[in-house]
Amino acid sequence: MIDNKSFHSRVRITIIYIIVILLGLGCLFPLLNIVAISLSGSAAVSANKVGILPVDFTLIAYDKIVSDGQFWRSFMISVIRVFLALLLNLAVTVPMAYAMTKSKKEFRARNIYMNLLIFAMLFNGGMIPTYILVRNLGMLNSIWALVLPGALPIFNVILLMNFFLGIPKSLEEAALIDGASPFQVLLKIMIPCAKPCLATVSLFSIVGSWNDFFSGLIYMQKLEDYPIMTYIQSLNVDIQQLLKSGASSSTLENVTELSNRNLNAAKIVVAVIPLLMIYPILQKYLITGMVMGSVKE
Amino acid sequence: MKKRLMTRAAGMALAVSVLLAATACSSQEDSASNTGSGENGSVNAGADAESERETIKVSLGRQTLQNVSFPNGDTYEDNAYVRMAEKKLNIDITDEFEANGDDYDRQVSLALTAGDIPDMMKVGSLDELKELYENELIADLTGVYEEYASDYLKSLYDSYGGRALENVTLDGKMMALPGTNGDSGPSIVWIRSDWMEQLELKIDEDQDGCITIEDLEMIAKTFMEKNPENADNVVGIAFAPWLTSGDPDGTFSMNSIAYALGAFPKTWMEKDGGVIYGSVTDEMKQALKVAAGWFQNGILDPQVGTRTWDDITALLANGQCGITFGTWHIPDWLLNNVYALNSNATFEAYTLSDAAGKVNCKHNNATAGYIVVSKKFEHPEVAIQIMNLFYDELVNSRELLEEYPEVAEYVSTGVDGSSRPFNIEVNSYTSLLDDYGDLERCLNGEITVDEVKTSEQRSNATNILAYLEGNGDATAWSKYHSRSKGVELLQTLTENDRFSWLTPIFPQTTPTMETHLANLEKLEEETFIKIVTGDIDVESGFDQFVEEWNNQGGTQILKEIAEQLQ
Repeated sequence: MIDNKSFHSRVRITIIYIIVILLGLGCLFPLLNIVAISLSGSAAVSANKVGILPVDFTLIAYDKIVSDGQFWRSFMISVIRVFLALLLNLAVTVPMAYAMTKSKKEFRARNIYMNLLIFAMLFNGGMIPTYILVRNLGMLNSIWALVLPGALPIFNVILLMNFFLGIPKSLEEAALIDGASPFQVLLKIMIPCAKPCLATVSLFSIVGSWNDFFSGLIYMQKLEDYPIMTYIQSLNVDIQQLLKSGASSSTLENVTELSNRNLNAAKIVVAVIPLLMIYPILQKYLITGMVMGSVKE
Repeated sequence: MKKRLMTRAAGMALAVSVLLAATACSSQEDSASNTGSGENGSVNAGADAESERETIKVSLGRQTLQNVSFPNGDTYEDNAYVRMAEKKLNIDITDEFEANGDDYDRQVSLALTAGDIPDMMKVGSLDELKELYENELIADLTGVYEEYASDYLKSLYDSYGGRALENVTLDGKMMALPGTNGDSGPSIVWIRSDWMEQLELKIDEDQDGCITIEDLEMIAKTFMEKNPENADNVVGIAFAPWLTSGDPDGTFSMNSIAYALGAFPKTWMEKDGGVIYGSVTDEMKQALKVAAGWFQNGILDPQVGTRTWDDITALLANGQCGITFGTWHIPDWLLNNVYALNSNATFEAYTLSDAAGKVNCKHNNATAGYIVVSKKFEHPEVAIQIMNLFYDELVNSRELLEEYPEVAEYVSTGVDGSSRPFNIEVNSYTSLLDDYGDLERCLNGEITVDEVKTSEQRSNATNILAYLEGNGDATAWSKYHSRSKGVELLQTLTENDRFSWLTPIFPQTTPTMETHLANLEKLEEETFIKIVTGDIDVESGFDQFVEEWNNQGGTQILKEIAEQLQ
């Protein structure tokens, strides 16, 4: 009977493993394909011969990237943006979340602020009004247009608030009895205790601002100001569209020669490397942070 | 108690938001960037007028191209073309916005919504032009065009017999400088001629460039049976999922088959005094019947409908398929993939003729891309002067290139034309064949390479001569095929008077088109694929499609177009 049960569970676990491995491979395959394409000869790529292993191995595409000034300019814009956004997000999120942990007795307008936050999380002005606002504030073409509109990630505030609430109240009380000011409580007690959760919200912020291409598309009016993802997005050429708009034969020649698939694949590979480097560092915090922050109101 | 708290809290929130608004709302840039010079747009059109007046600041909206490689650190805003224009016309060009393709249209509509457009910009469609006009944002160019445009520039527009300027004339006023869009001929049938030689296939014995649908069928069948390159999964003929194209020369489309049967898919046209839509005609049914027949007997790609653009390119490159359809210049940028994998590959260009031996084709819309000038801009004549400089002087004057060697280098190394201040093309209606005539004389030895008029054709001539001597590279292969095969075919057909031209209607977007056309186009493409793959019967399926098309807004659209024409 016991054998039977463990046999059953073993089968079940095996099946689950197979499914999970297949799903994992399904996620891995496109990535490997892009890497393989970036390392293959362009003729093999245009003949659709590349699977997960490179054909006619060459590093020409990477060689070209090194000399692509705009790529590195965009790369640096994104790096700066990520740091700015991260600092700003944390500077705004942490005090806000801490204030929100206070009960209505201590912080009388808490619920109003809470409702405002929730409202702003669910509804927003839409693209055109936001664009006009950003434009009238004189932020077009500046890095602030990429950073300020998303300076307060409300979801992160709620996540962090719930994590703070999970920290035993007695810790805070002990500190207060010992004469700590609320600021000291925040800096010396709450923040050190909330490291896993801070890692999580940091990761959200980094990934979010690194991957976002759309705000670059509407707020940046010049190609040289594009952040990296906007730049890569803009490499996508719609030949049909070009043909329709009456592009000349020489234009089509230029486009197909320079915007080939290997080169674009190589650019994608280079652009995901920073994220691939950050994930392993923050991942151990990520899981605990999410789970612990998500329970308890 | 509670109420008091509420009001206090709300008051606090209000105070905070006012504070934020006050600090953030610092300065609103005044984008009217032009410095009004003393003599408002001096009427003096003399040679030195530009250098006498103050430098005029010009802000542009520019549609750019992905990945253009500029030499040594040049950008769209600051490159040899722009520097030449700035120096020559004494202006100072800044880009208000730049973006690629569709992203550019978004920038234009954002600027339009905000009611603040750059001094000059390109817009992609007549609808946008009309919207700008109705919002009174753009200037009337009638006067400055008459006064400043060079005779050559005017002759370019006039070569379209009024069709070019008519498009930009709203209420009798010329509201934009259009880019021209000459006819590029029908969709050419490109067939692997090295295979035909190897298999000793003979078509087009009278050498007039025309073959019949039966010839095409025979070639496709033989290519599949003999499989000259021993490829896996050979395909006779492959079409892109959209099957038909609104452009006569639609690449990877079945347009040539449709046109040979007298059908003009995705075309608004006049017939027997009324307006009709080409995709719902009986001729179109016949064309689909041919394609469906091919699908059944295996000539047509069994994966038609899911085979993407890149997939079809791969079929050709791998030698799985030896027949394709497209405009005259596809050897330059598409078929060169075939050469890259197999340098023995050669193509021959044919067209499909109809039962009467004529080649049906339709005219393109005469214009593509429009340059508009802001109403606030005080020197609209500068726009015309830029046009003169780039579409007249740069083309015709060798001295200009000597004066600006970096521009000459741009031209010879082929830096893309989108780097000019205005990303439009302005050519005469017959420029394609005129240029080719010049090239042909050179290839025949009548004139030397140096005597060829344009630098583009000079480089073509050098390449083709190298190819003919047997030592050309990939570019030489491409140029030989696109010019000496592609354009040569168009020229032969024109000389032999084989074309039968249709002048379609290019309607402005009507209200029902706005709301219903996207759905109708979807219905059309889905139904056509279903018919070709045998999912639904040709006869009943097509008739039902026509009925649905009419009921779902088609009839209404035709009525609105007819009203527009009156």
